Amino acid sequence: MSVKIEVIEGGIPHQKIMIGGLVGTLVCLYLTYLNVLTNTEMFAFFGGLAMVIALIWGSHTIKVLCSYGIGTGVPSAGMIAFGSGVIAMVLATKPVFGMAAPIVATVLAALVGFILGYISNNILNMKIPAMVQALTEMAIVGALSLMGFAALMTGGFTFAGLTTGSVSMLGLSISSTANSFIGGALIAVAFLLGAIAIQHPFNATLGPGWKQDRMLMLTAECGFLSMIAAAFMSFALISMGAAIISLVVAIIGWAYTYNQYICLSKRDAAAWLDAKPIPEVEGH
Amino acid sequence: MSAVAAKPQAGGAMNPTAMAVGVVMLLIILALCYFVSPGAGLMALVGVIVGGVLIGFGTHFVPVGGAPAAMGQAPGIATGVAMLAAGAGLAGLFGGAWAAEQGLVVATITGGVGGGLMMAITCMMVNFVYVFGMGIPAASGKVLNDPITGDSQKEFKSQGTEGHGLPFVSFVGGVIGGFLGGAGGTIIYLQLLTLYEATLPAVMSMRPEQVMPIAVAAAGIFAVGLFLVNAVLTAYNITGTIEGPHDPKFKRWPRAIVASAVASALCGFLAILIVAM
Repeated sequence: MSVKIEVIEGGIPHQKIMIGGLVGTLVCLYLTYLNVLTNTEMFAFFGGLAMVIALIWGSHTIKVLCSYGIGTGVPSAGMIAFGSGVIAMVLATKPVFGMAAPIVATVLAALVGFILGYISNNILNMKIPAMVQALTEMAIVGALSLMGFAALMTGGFTFAGLTTGSVSMLGLSISSTANSFIGGALIAVAFLLGAIAIQHPFNATLGPGWKQDRMLMLTAECGFLSMIAAAFMSFALISMGAAIISLVVAIIGWAYTYNQYICLSKRDAAAWLDAKPIPEVEGH
Repeated sequence: MSAVAAKPQAGGAMNPTAMAVGVVMLLIILALCYFVSPGAGLMALVGVIVGGVLIGFGTHFVPVGGAPAAMGQAPGIATGVAMLAAGAGLAGLFGGAWAAEQGLVVATITGGVGGGLMMAITCMMVNFVYVFGMGIPAASGKVLNDPITGDSQKEFKSQGTEGHGLPFVSFVGGVIGGFLGGAGGTIIYLQLLTLYEATLPAVMSMRPEQVMPIAVAAAGIFAVGLFLVNAVLTAYNITGTIEGPHDPKFKRWPRAIVASAVASALCGFLAILIVAM
């Protein structure tokens, strides 16, 4: 049995973050269905918001898991989250599941995560109390945030939408599989944008001065930063107007969370010096 | 309790019940796969399991030092398993993917050579930095003599450390680990690619050349995902750090074989369901 090194003192309990994260992500993912109802792509940015909410939940799960010195470093937790989530997410987008895709992704990822948790805890003898629940949550977070990326970049999350795009050539619109979320391998970029954003916050803020709100704000900041990159990529797949809306939402979100994070860092720092750029010394 | 005292948790002991449950799970997944897609699907799943097991076993050879190695207090490459295995595996995967058209054997060996080469370069440059940058000799803390060269280690080991640098046996272990990892990743990629190329045209009702980008990208990202899952599970098995094949922790490999087989079977089965449903 391992010993828990850090104790969560104060702050929001993990259970609340988990429920809030799951509900918030699913609601935001379903809000992208407004695209289908209104026959536009303007609501693609809800996919990005779903991704940010899922990442916030996931980074707190990493904190819970990595409080038990697992010895492998924090980044490995982010990698296994997305590694176990990616296949469940693509399977859930199959036309068979239709509207239920986000819920199916949750269930499939939970199954994969639960079995991986069992493997780690029993076969590999880790014996960490939070392991099974944490890996289950991480797989769900990985699947749902990839689905958020998919919705952000393509405006939806159907298998057809993820695998076919259109190229306009000489005024004609031709269907092309290479110009799509999976066919263009944008899924690989989304994979790492998410995997880095989920593991960085706890890796950067861990230690005796760890504060929950500061870490979660950093996660939101990392999430919006990933959303900016993803919004740029969405220009290739969805209409110009929709992509600009996503980009503006991402930039506003990033600027706000970045400012908040700097404020929180100054609050928690023992002292800080507003360093200026190297001054130009004249006459030397 | 301090962080140092809380470190050792996963002992070397096997858990026979859990191992048996793992094997049963593996058989159930294979049976399900036979039920869903008896021919091509089952073949692909067996290939994915073989690849996953190669990755899991190969990662045990890689000298992973972690943070203590960065401070010169433990032997190995100064980063985590996930990063190292991903680096070697992806290098191998890219190599193997280039040779995918030349058949399974050539592509797998090419992938293995890619991974091994990447680890060889990493190990050499790490030793350059250790010896010429940090000024520390290579010495193992786990064995008295290097099992391959027979060189004595004890005299070179600083007091209070577990050894430092990258002894010859760790270097060889790294190259073997990179080879196995790269070959395993390539096998997974090739199996999924063959399956997707054969079945996606019917599933999506498109021409074969139209589904090529989908088949390549999906097989590639799933191979990466499976690679990371297997590498991280192995990292859990060795609790983060290992010196190489001479490390006592290396004896834990049977657990990782079962774990990797079950995890790869599960993820591979889902990947096969995408085209089998």
